Amino acid sequence: MTDSLLSLRGLSVWFPVGDRLFGRKAMLHAVEGVDLELRAGEALGIVGESGCGKSTLVRAILQLVRPTHGQVVWMGRRIEELPMNEVRPLRRDMQIVFQDPLASLNPRMTIGEIVAEPLRVHRPELDAAGRRREVEAILMRVGLSADIINRYPHEFSGGQCQRIGIARAMVLRPKLLICDEPVSALDVSIQAQIVNLLKELKRDFGMTIVFVSHNLAVVRRLCERVLVLYLGRTMELALTDDLYSRPLHPYTRGLLAAVPIPDPDLQPARLGTSLGGELPSPLSPPSGCVFRTRCPHAAPQCAREVPVFKHIEADRWIACLRWHELPADPGYGKPRAAGQQKASP
Amino acid sequence: MRSIPVTAEGTAVAATEPGLADRATASRPVLEIDALSVRFSTPDGEIPAVNDFSLAIRAGECVGVVGESGAGKSQSFLAVMGLLASNATVTGNARFDGRELLGRPASELNEVRGSRLAMIFQDPMTSLTPHMKVGEQIAESLVRHRKMPSAQARARALALLNRVHVTDAERRLDQYPHELSGGMRQRVMIAVALACDPVMLIADEPTTALDVTIQAQILALLAELKREQDTAMVLITHDLGVVAGIADRVAVMYGGRVVELGTVRQVLKSPRHPYTQALLRSMPRVDDAADAPLVTIPGQPPNPRSLPPGCAFHPRCQHAQELCRRERPPLLERDGTWLACHFPVELVDLGALGALGAPMSTLAAAAPEMPS
Repeated sequence: MTDSLLSLRGLSVWFPVGDRLFGRKAMLHAVEGVDLELRAGEALGIVGESGCGKSTLVRAILQLVRPTHGQVVWMGRRIEELPMNEVRPLRRDMQIVFQDPLASLNPRMTIGEIVAEPLRVHRPELDAAGRRREVEAILMRVGLSADIINRYPHEFSGGQCQRIGIARAMVLRPKLLICDEPVSALDVSIQAQIVNLLKELKRDFGMTIVFVSHNLAVVRRLCERVLVLYLGRTMELALTDDLYSRPLHPYTRGLLAAVPIPDPDLQPARLGTSLGGELPSPLSPPSGCVFRTRCPHAAPQCAREVPVFKHIEADRWIACLRWHELPADPGYGKPRAAGQQKASP
Repeated sequence: MRSIPVTAEGTAVAATEPGLADRATASRPVLEIDALSVRFSTPDGEIPAVNDFSLAIRAGECVGVVGESGAGKSQSFLAVMGLLASNATVTGNARFDGRELLGRPASELNEVRGSRLAMIFQDPMTSLTPHMKVGEQIAESLVRHRKMPSAQARARALALLNRVHVTDAERRLDQYPHELSGGMRQRVMIAVALACDPVMLIADEPTTALDVTIQAQILALLAELKREQDTAMVLITHDLGVVAGIADRVAVMYGGRVVELGTVRQVLKSPRHPYTQALLRSMPRVDDAADAPLVTIPGQPPNPRSLPPGCAFHPRCQHAQELCRRERPPLLERDGTWLACHFPVELVDLGALGALGAPMSTLAAAAPEMPS
């Protein structure tokens, strides 16, 4: 495909764990058989509970962990086989912003040094003055003032540190920006500022965004497509509006129902509707469909058969054996009724 | 730890016990906090963390206390529980069941804490004892407060684990906290808190560390306890969605003070303090398909070390005027809501604000008045 920036084909990441004393090692399947085509210029959200493999998946894209099986095709080139010294130059075009804004900035470096570091590595042709120009420009672009370059991370608030982290990632103008829970550690009033900033940057620079988050409301605001992961497997992939207004996978429905809504007329009724149970151990995943132990619609066949991640309609994939026979969704993610949404004087 | 209660300037307003007025006929409050202030002495000077905090909570009622970091929401209730750091100075009153809690020695507080007045915390891993079995931790308060024989306490611990819907409860009794998942640990902590049938439960960000699905389960459990056991509850959280499902009333805190207090419908459906409004608008909603940029609150929550003069919210407020920069607005009752604002927003049904994208000032002017 011409508009594909990155494709994952049957990507699996396994970690060896456990009993080293007797030489028996179990394999933890953190990511299992993920197929994904990332389109140039889109913002893709990846959602799921902790332990669902969200972070491992994006780290495998960056080759920060090497996949156990499958392919990572970056701009037409398989990169999972490349030695690290050939992967590193590619990172100029793929950058990441982490969750904890303060912990991801070196406390002993000035803001100027932090933001200039990617330039030193990837653009050695720039001299000090050129680097400084770039650093000042990107700092101002993310809403900071250019005169902070001689200050240190601890002098800044969480929201400002996250802006610095975004500036460091954007200073190279990457083609792909991966954001791993970038607003989760921030105060509510600051989250909106960062979400808006990412939206603006995407509009201005046109980069592709992979946005990992457990906050489904934030994902809805920022992303055009959403991938739902459960126990390292892909459950559903759809355009954002379709996924929220017509979720098909029972897990997607459960996730949406669990997000609290600040409306006392709606929220009390939602409380009793969430998913039961907890994520099973990834060391011994359930047979068949891994979600069946928590699925309100599980049938005997779900224990026997592994659902294929199927392309069921335009822009929509789902891994569920029974999706076509399930009752309609109660509609927790649907927009509020028109009467409530519009002012009616 | 506590100095003599003082009636500082301005407490006259708060002393009318905000929250009692809206339900004159309701039962006597379980906990009455009056003009509570918390100050920390540090090498850099005094830090006022909580100022003039007054709240009354009745049996069976759940009050949500909402605010961002540094708003003083946790410190207020840690002060009530006598759990503040040693450099704290507390003034004011907190009467629990008619008895003053503030300034009492730990030995006396321990008769109340963990038995009739219980608290659960954000991180169940650090609040549970790592080297004690789950069953023993639940039984501990029963043995201590109720002088229950240990076999009986164990049986009651089992019943409590079942009560909070812990699966496989018999086996869990002999497990250690690290063997449990985060959601399970939070259920255990709730079981510990419920052991002696408390009349009041203070929950400090009880779901913040949990996954959204597990959060929903814990919130459903708290709602069930409130419904079935008539336990008074304080729910401290930064998430307005969390209070919407359980709370009867909501107190919004900013810069160490309550800025808005009313029923959950008043505060979430027709907020009148500019901060509450802005906070609601800046939160993306999972049921909101709008594509417009989120309304943001400029700047960041104030550091209690250097609170702005006048109204602490004025540097971030779109309605701020000269008076707001100069004079701190007292907490006053207006149309059944308690508000600390010189220029409260007109009554507006937030549901009618639609796409939530328009600037606040135009909305306030254009939106129709809500029928009461």
